[in-house]
Amino acid sequence: MSAMAAQLKVIPGGRSSPMQQKGDDIMDVAVNTPVKTFIQVAEIWVPEGETLVHGGGSYGELAAFEEASRRESFAKGEGLPGKAWAEARPVVLKGFDGSYFKRIEVATEAGLTSAVAVPVFAGKTLKAVLVVLCGDDENRTGAIEVWKEAEGLLMLDDGYYGAAKHFEWVSQHTHFPAGQGLPGGVWASETPILMRDLGSGYRFIRADSAGKAGLTTGLGVPIPVPGAAPYVLTLLSARGTPIARRFELWDARAAKVGKSGGAALVDGICAREGALWDPENAGKERRAEAWQGSIGKVLGSGLPVVESGKPGLAAGYGSMVALPLYHGTELSHIVAWYV
Amino acid sequence: MTEKLVVIGAGMASGRMLENLFELAPDAFDVTLFNAEPRGNYNRIMLSPVLSGEKSYEEIVTHDAAWYERHGVTCRFGERVTAIDRERKVVIAPNGEVPYDKLVLGTGSSAFIIPCPGHDLPGVVAFRDLEDTTAMLEASGAPGSKAVVIGGGLLGLEAAAALRLRGMEVTVLHLAGHLMERQLDESAGYLLQKDLEKRGITVLTRASTKAIQGEGKVEKVVLEDGTVLEADIVVMAVGIRPAVSVAADAGLEMGRAVKVDAQMRTSDPAIFAVGECVEFEGNLFGLVAPLYDQAKVLAKTLTGEADSFTPKELSTKLKVTGCDLFSAGDFAEGEGREDIVFRDPARGIYKRLVIEGDKLVGAVMYGDTADSNWFFGLIKDGTDVEEMRETLIFGPAFQGGAAVDPMAAVAALPADAEICGCNGVCKGQIVAAIEGGASSLADIKASTKASASCGTCTGLVEQVMAVTLGDGFEIPAAQNVCGCTDLSHEDVRRLIKAKELKSQPAVWQELGWTTPNGCHVCRPAINFYLLADWPLDYQDDPQSRFVNERNHANIQKDGTYSVMPRMWGGMTDANELRAIADAADKYGAAVKVTGGQRIDLLGVKKEDLPGIWYDLNEAGMVSGHAYSKGLRTVKTCVGSDWCRFGTQDSTGLGIKLEKKLWGSWTPHKVKLAVSGCPRNCAEATCKDVGIICVDSGYQVGVGGAAGMDVKETERLVDVKTEEEAIEWTTAFIQLYRENAKYLDRPYKWVAKVGLDWVKETLADPAERTALNERFEISQSVYRKDPWADHARPEKAKSFQLVADLTQEAAE
Repeated sequence: MSAMAAQLKVIPGGRSSPMQQKGDDIMDVAVNTPVKTFIQVAEIWVPEGETLVHGGGSYGELAAFEEASRRESFAKGEGLPGKAWAEARPVVLKGFDGSYFKRIEVATEAGLTSAVAVPVFAGKTLKAVLVVLCGDDENRTGAIEVWKEAEGLLMLDDGYYGAAKHFEWVSQHTHFPAGQGLPGGVWASETPILMRDLGSGYRFIRADSAGKAGLTTGLGVPIPVPGAAPYVLTLLSARGTPIARRFELWDARAAKVGKSGGAALVDGICAREGALWDPENAGKERRAEAWQGSIGKVLGSGLPVVESGKPGLAAGYGSMVALPLYHGTELSHIVAWYV
Repeated sequence: MTEKLVVIGAGMASGRMLENLFELAPDAFDVTLFNAEPRGNYNRIMLSPVLSGEKSYEEIVTHDAAWYERHGVTCRFGERVTAIDRERKVVIAPNGEVPYDKLVLGTGSSAFIIPCPGHDLPGVVAFRDLEDTTAMLEASGAPGSKAVVIGGGLLGLEAAAALRLRGMEVTVLHLAGHLMERQLDESAGYLLQKDLEKRGITVLTRASTKAIQGEGKVEKVVLEDGTVLEADIVVMAVGIRPAVSVAADAGLEMGRAVKVDAQMRTSDPAIFAVGECVEFEGNLFGLVAPLYDQAKVLAKTLTGEADSFTPKELSTKLKVTGCDLFSAGDFAEGEGREDIVFRDPARGIYKRLVIEGDKLVGAVMYGDTADSNWFFGLIKDGTDVEEMRETLIFGPAFQGGAAVDPMAAVAALPADAEICGCNGVCKGQIVAAIEGGASSLADIKASTKASASCGTCTGLVEQVMAVTLGDGFEIPAAQNVCGCTDLSHEDVRRLIKAKELKSQPAVWQELGWTTPNGCHVCRPAINFYLLADWPLDYQDDPQSRFVNERNHANIQKDGTYSVMPRMWGGMTDANELRAIADAADKYGAAVKVTGGQRIDLLGVKKEDLPGIWYDLNEAGMVSGHAYSKGLRTVKTCVGSDWCRFGTQDSTGLGIKLEKKLWGSWTPHKVKLAVSGCPRNCAEATCKDVGIICVDSGYQVGVGGAAGMDVKETERLVDVKTEEEAIEWTTAFIQLYRENAKYLDRPYKWVAKVGLDWVKETLADPAERTALNERFEISQSVYRKDPWADHARPEKAKSFQLVADLTQEAAE
């Protein structure tokens, strides 16, 4: 009870409306000062004939790694992106030494030690592979998990947790029935879900351990692949080394936004702007149209977008990743995260 | 001069009123705000995502301390007002009185708690405020903990989905036949239930709570039917009632809530009310939209501006991630109303528009709510939709264009468009097969497997063939069940099994019915198919039955009924005959011996039916089912016990067969006879099943008829023993039950499938055993006397003379 009471108390010094006020003091997404982030590099690989070529990325200050990456390309089955394509599944790679990872030398120089590749399929067609890279560090905490159905339950396929070793162990020994917890909820509803305050007062299924690891916000997305049940990808963000300080969840289904296209911002939370959803629940969500802004770029191209150092990103953030989610061949949702 | 305004209740309605007031007249009032909850105004309707963890409480705070401070509001939170002294114009609360010039009541509502035993145990919570939410979160903390949610309305379902997401085992109990019955029709309710079940939530409809039990706290919930559910927490979400005790004690004019006029004034000119505690022109309000309208009007009234509150059409949305539904207006069926229905079974979409006199009056949507606001606008504005009626269901994007031609749509499909979802066949493959010489649906099925599994894409495949072959292909006119569907009876039966459809709404949705809930032609058929295929899962629907079956008696030309008690194998005794004679006297019935060797009592009034059944039941007699599509009678001769020619105990076998088979529903009526020798005194050779006893055993014949058609039975099998004769007969009837088209007598069905197939199937001992087992499972439900059930006083009421047109659906 004590944890809940602390969690649910009205925090003084608030805002005039949920959409306008700064949320630094009320949001657990992240603090607003520059901090180390959990994910250091995000990059897009797009198929061009039989190879995957560089389709943009955000590398922060890791210029040498960026330069090497921009020159790179992968055949199907080659390197991490090629493996995600060939095996049609998200791939977690922890430790590059002696692995199939192609850019070991430059990655090691940049301090990068682990990576996760997420293929984006529209039906049977590969649209792109999103790769995120992280560096090991005693203080870098977060989680990127891949969940897979086995015998009617969701089991952890693999995950990268940084310093959250106990939470990693708990997750390896946890399974989710349909509808339960963030992975089970995403799996059953076939919809991305953004959860708040994973580890504090709320009874997130792995809450105790999540709380100790400082994990606060969780984004879960379905990752459909040809010929198998969808995987569920979860990004669990910690206060100290956030995956993002702003999460957005856009609904682009024709059944929701109409046949004319576009997308509606159905959920979101931002360290700078607070809650991003429509408090009136009246269908007056923010809209994005094809080719207008970064989300519009995803809508228009159907591809993931990674942008950095560009003016005009939401709430003045420095970089963003937007990942399209497909249902069959239809673009159904876009999730975006900003740091 | 600044007036003193006191507001009781810091809910969403009074909060919006204050916002409007401060905009209109920032300094006109000195405001004191009481709230029984120890906090200010928050977005209460978003509590369910807070419960699920998809929102944080901080995100749903509407007015925080700074807001109240900025507007100079004196907050008295956590303080419940105990009284209003209208004479002295003061509000009385535990920490002191506050005088007012104007007083606003915004006391809202409280949850209705079913007063069943145990309702006050710790662990029984409502879902109204943050305290309730906190209590539920506490309960969800323990792994494997169980929640029972009573009430399958908006609030109950949101709570259920949230608790499930939190990791609880959740069961929803709902009294009505489908979820959210006030906002959804059966079809949309079915889809919602399916979506919730996919999330691991158990939904029990027609579930009535008898008691909540536990030692010192909630441990289990007991239902009226005896079901016991374990529970660590019970959430009561069955409804709300206005919280108006303070107003009533103050002597304000009350109805079900505080009565107000269109300016939100109560009977006291200095006191106003807003929100869920208000009654306006007999209406109560629970959804937020009218409360905000009231808030706007009240703010104007307080500042002396003119405005009036008028209730508007309401719409409903459910906040469960991934469940998209919309409901607005009135969608009850009625005279002069027309339905437009669109279903997409593959995508789980159902849309229904209700039109009355060229106006859209109601809309229900599930799975595709993109155009809901447009439809809602048409309802609210009363727009004339006559011009766009043809394309209305397709939404605004289709208006102004040409009417939709389904063939044009098929022609426009790209080659990689999937036609058959089951076998993953694209349009291109079908076109290639046609170009390779396939010219019939059977060819396409054989070469591509398209439409070879579930068959729902058959129409689409045929359209692709028509588009590709042009005049060379004529879409065959299918023998559809009725105008509600293009599928044949055979297809429907096959799909009910293949797709495991276990309710009528499931059939309508998954097989794409074009009407909201079937018609008088398809409902009796679907009802039979479901109860025959899923005897334990499906509950027989009396509304889908013909009047005779519903009333368990045959209606006669003068409106009276005939009553025929069962006489096993045609045997009776003096006691039974006395009871029949007494009943005939008592109810003024004529007496007739029937062709099936039974005694019929004719001319019984409808209201006397329960009485005569009761009397006959008392004499040990049960219904003879002379009215049903089911086993009628087993006619017998006297057999070897009495007759010089008798070879076997034909009467005994007849009695055994009748006792085994009675009560079972069949596609059409089934008549049996057993003759003791080939002289055939029981006329067994013109029955649906006729057994002729011979010295060497029993000749089982099937498919006879002696009605409009006259037909001799054909020999199914010769067997040596009575047990075998019973086993074969039962297996035949079960095969008929499982395969025949509704309203096909066995002789018609046998002619369609061929006696050879029937013989072949039944020749397999394992198959016969399986058929017998399935028949017994079904009989565990249906081998019971409907008279005994209906002679109970509460059921008997339905036989009183009350005109109830809705009961006549299946006529």
